Amino acid sequence: MRILYVNNDGAGFADYVSIAENTTVEQFFAIKMQDCQAIDYLIRVNRQPVTRDYILKEGDRVTITPRKIEGAF
Amino acid sequence: MDENKNLIRIANHIQDALVKLKAEQYQEGINQFASFTSQLQELNDNRNKLGKVVSCHWYASAQCFRSRISRSINDISYLLQKNKQLLDVSENNIPKLSVLVAELKQLQADCGDMDFDKDKNTISVVTEPIELDNIFLGPFKIRLELNKLSELHKDSPYYCIALEPNPATTDESVTHPHVSNEKLCEGDGSVAIRTALEQGRLCDFFTMIKSILNTYNLDSPYISLSDWDGTPCYDCGYTMDRENCYYCSFCDRDYCEECSSYCRLCDETVCLGCGGQCPHCEELACPNCISSCVECDDICCKDCLDDGLCPNCIEERKSENEEPENQNTETEKPGDQSQPETRKPEVRIAG
Repeated sequence: MRILYVNNDGAGFADYVSIAENTTVEQFFAIKMQDCQAIDYLIRVNRQPVTRDYILKEGDRVTITPRKIEGAF
Repeated sequence: MDENKNLIRIANHIQDALVKLKAEQYQEGINQFASFTSQLQELNDNRNKLGKVVSCHWYASAQCFRSRISRSINDISYLLQKNKQLLDVSENNIPKLSVLVAELKQLQADCGDMDFDKDKNTISVVTEPIELDNIFLGPFKIRLELNKLSELHKDSPYYCIALEPNPATTDESVTHPHVSNEKLCEGDGSVAIRTALEQGRLCDFFTMIKSILNTYNLDSPYISLSDWDGTPCYDCGYTMDRENCYYCSFCDRDYCEECSSYCRLCDETVCLGCGGQCPHCEELACPNCISSCVECDDICCKDCLDDGLCPNCIEERKSENEEPENQNTETEKPGDQSQPETRKPEVRIAG
């Protein structure tokens, strides 16, 4: 199953990725964002906030955006 | 219905801007390829010339052409790498109008008021009031200029404008630890922000800007929040908090502890520029407690002045008063030749 994954962490990218059937948002986050806390990110599916047990479907658009980004000078 | 039409119109403007950005990126690639091919041409020319001079046994010239070829090869390897990087960048398709409309709808849902200025071709959203480390910085307007989007890789196409500015005391252009002259320094978010803009993901763009504005990176701010409300020392520029700030009433400026002192006569705070050291007692005195000697005009503190005279002049007067007495005693003893001469005769040059 393929979904669109938009990651705004680091360099940022948007690409289609393959995932297993019945993967929840929580599991997807754990796979893609290892060592990161979900609370530090704004996670959306199809532009809407969802619960952690939401099961991803074919063609879903998952966006992960950090809540805190360090600026500089 | 009207609202939808309006969003489609805005989406159309965004799409035009993204088309221009793409054209600009291609143009940049073409310019890079042109430099590469021109270097190749130069290399070929030098190779031909080298062949000719070698056939004539002009080895001094041959060495010169060999150096030129070596430099060309260095430039070519650099340009080759740069061109390869440009070619390897994944192609961003310009998003469809429906995708851009969805972006705008999400933006409206997330940020409430989204303002599109048709004349200036800008999209603006306003953040919630921002407070970092108990310092209120107020709400910010993030204004994206679509006309500048095509110059994304040369200049930032957006501004962060403080709506209720509480700038740093030391620099009014710094309205946020990471904003100077309305330009945000993106730090860690720099690449992701550009990627989002290139792909027309406006909602992600505005969300990331808000994330930066709501975060304080104490390792690299324009001005640290601990110095935000401080007062700069007029002399050395050191930022002081209100309690450690010394006001000089003579020049009407604030100074730090190092650059200020107090008058030893009246205890008034005085900066080192306004205060002066009395040359006689060597104590610091304020302009009110310093005066000049009526006789020699030398500066002196009031404590050292006596009847308007500095200690030197007082001393001089005393010795002048004593001299006639001495002269009198000398005239009384004309026969005494053993006394050394204490005063040289005054010589006056006529004319």
